[in-house]
Amino acid sequence: MRAFVFTDKALERYAGRFVWLAVDTENAKNAAFLTKYPIPALPTLLVLDPRKESVALRYVGGATVPQLSKILDDGERSFRGRTSSSADTLLASADKLAGEGKSDEAIALYAQALARAPKNWKLFNRAAESYAVALSLAGKSPQCADVARDLYPRLKGTASGANVAATGLDCALGLDEKDPKRPALVSLLEKAARESFDDPKVAAAMSGDDRSGLYMTLIGARADAKDEAAAQRLTQEWSSFLDAEAARAKTPEQRSVYDPHRLSAYLELKTPEKAIPMLEQTERDFPDDYNPPARLALAYKAMKQYDQALAASDRALQHVYGPRKITVLRARADIYAEKGDKESAKKTIAEAVAYAKSLPTGQRNERTIASLEKKLAGM
Amino acid sequence: MKRLTLALTLLALAATAQAKETVPFIENDYATALSRARAKNLPIFVEAWAPW
Repeated sequence: MRAFVFTDKALERYAGRFVWLAVDTENAKNAAFLTKYPIPALPTLLVLDPRKESVALRYVGGATVPQLSKILDDGERSFRGRTSSSADTLLASADKLAGEGKSDEAIALYAQALARAPKNWKLFNRAAESYAVALSLAGKSPQCADVARDLYPRLKGTASGANVAATGLDCALGLDEKDPKRPALVSLLEKAARESFDDPKVAAAMSGDDRSGLYMTLIGARADAKDEAAAQRLTQEWSSFLDAEAARAKTPEQRSVYDPHRLSAYLELKTPEKAIPMLEQTERDFPDDYNPPARLALAYKAMKQYDQALAASDRALQHVYGPRKITVLRARADIYAEKGDKESAKKTIAEAVAYAKSLPTGQRNERTIASLEKKLAGM
Repeated sequence: MKRLTLALTLLALAATAQAKETVPFIENDYATALSRARAKNLPIFVEAWAPW
């Protein structure tokens, strides 16, 4: 959003109506904020009421300029107490509870808000998206898939419909293979996601990276169906789409937004070497950013050029900070392991454990520590 | 598709931080944002993000 949205002049009219806060979740300075307002995925957008230090609106996911404008209008209305129906109030309460990390209570209120939605309710789309995403994040895959199936017909032809269909499809694909409801849910939600994908109006309303996310979900569904030919075709199409989007970028920031997607596509197509010039260019453009060398390490590892991979990993470690350093260390351990240097792999995971334990509350993650310790014990 | 999912978990999206913004963001300072918002009776918009 920093590259495409917050630079847009259309947002100038909102500048004096909010205090704007950017929270880098990797920065230890934000640990107390993250304890108070748990952030389940990135980006997450919040409108806060400073009088009560509570969440007036919460949206998990990125937004285009028109989507963000609506979020800002709705958030301002919620902050000023200008709700006009019981469904509005229920949605605001659901967002508040979700913002406090009380996901079960929030899910119940999202359901109630939608059940009481007046005809042509202006907040229906956002409420539906938040409900499906909350279920998905809470790991309630069966309910998430059912809800997406039920809500999609009312959202068809919108970016919200694409989001709900894709979220529901990911949930359906995550269902137990033996679940008798799985095949019908996967089939119906794949059709819905594909319909959204093929709708030019929906495509125009989505950001390039959201469309990339839709590609990934659809590729996942074809692979799940063991339709390797279609999965391969779609992956090729995805890669070409990303290359074209990157070529259209007006700034290095915009172009680099597509780097992780393009690398994923190249890795999937077994052409990691295509990522090297792209990532080297981004590393030159943003010499203090750890991402380009961290991604170069993954590309070189896939090419089995382990010394190049470790050199890139060294450069990434010079700049990385926060919980993300654990990911870089894990990747480094994998490079050592593939190279056959078991001792260095073990030492790197031990370093990751010590680092993970040193993070402050709000950034420290007990599940991450447990998983690293388990990995270390097995080495 | 497990491999794709894993790769994407590792590589999840975000933009780099150097773009020129139209709105005046306070970076990583909730206390300042809170006191400014209280003084002006304005809501706080938060973008929670990470450089990865």
